[in-house]
Amino acid sequence: MGDFVFTSGARLVLFIDAGGFIVTKQGDCGNIDTATLGALAANSFAATQAIAKIIEDHSVSSLYQQGEENSLLILSVGDFGFLAVVFPAAIGVGSVKYYAEDMVGRVVRQLDAARERAPDQGLDLSALNIADAAPLFRRRAAP
Amino acid sequence: MALINQATKEIQLKIVYYGPPQCGKTSNLEKVHAEVEAAPETKGKLTSLATNSDRTLFFDFLPLETAVIRGFKTKFQLFTVPGQVIYNTTRQLVLRGVDGLVFVADSQYEKMEENVQTFNNMIQNLETLNQNLANIPYILQYNKRDLPNAAPVNYLDFLLNNREIEVPSFASSAVKGDGVFETLNMITRMLLHKLLTESGRKAA
Repeated sequence: MGDFVFTSGARLVLFIDAGGFIVTKQGDCGNIDTATLGALAANSFAATQAIAKIIEDHSVSSLYQQGEENSLLILSVGDFGFLAVVFPAAIGVGSVKYYAEDMVGRVVRQLDAARERAPDQGLDLSALNIADAAPLFRRRAAP
Repeated sequence: MALINQATKEIQLKIVYYGPPQCGKTSNLEKVHAEVEAAPETKGKLTSLATNSDRTLFFDFLPLETAVIRGFKTKFQLFTVPGQVIYNTTRQLVLRGVDGLVFVADSQYEKMEENVQTFNNMIQNLETLNQNLANIPYILQYNKRDLPNAAPVNYLDFLLNNREIEVPSFASSAVKGDGVFETLNMITRMLLHKLLTESGRKAA
């Protein structure tokens, strides 16, 4: 993904899972709220896929939003999630898409390899003390 | 599905607030956003995709972060669904990847039919995603308890909490903030418990 940012001239690329979580990111986040961008991009892409089904098209693989300063390209990454690419509007979407599609293939291969490597590997959560009754989120005391 | 990122040492969990129109789903998130005791960098922006009349069009979204597991950041994404029936497709989209559910019921007597219909709609929408409510941690919040025409809690329990396994329920007044944090803390606790149990099962 780092190579892609360098060669395409993109500003930022996010790998987002189907639920809208950021798995990883590369590039210049600047002031961009990536958590919100990820959630909105995932739902926007899911909505586009739902619209496509309604109009009897089942092959939506990308979504392009043209901006004045920055544009956005969202690409499907198989059943893993999405890649959201933020790039300067001065760069043509065709060029970004050309490099991005190559990256999608590489990401899918990496994820397939990871799945085969440890399909059932769990996480050691022994440090999590569920018996601790302290609330995770507290209401701020009134002034 | 919970996302556990070994590279960034993060656990990410998605909680969806579901319920009939104008039951107080958005009010829950607004109250959490306004009153949670948190460092600025651990509380995200509340994003609402709403109509001109402040009705939820797609969803509300609030990211929150906390540290409960040594070495791991735990991030929660709180979503609401639109209550209006015409937005059922968008409800299904928001449910994708859900880890835990808060069903917000409107306690007013005249809303009981809508509560039950929306609860059944939630089950159906989960089924379209090949999900079963029995496998997802969920709790009930009986909201608008401050209104004079609120039905008794045991009546709401009879209508909504009368399944094989009884789930925790909370009386609330979301606009006042009563019951909001109790609800959030219970669902996060249930999610972490499930994560811990599944992790133990995999490790065994």
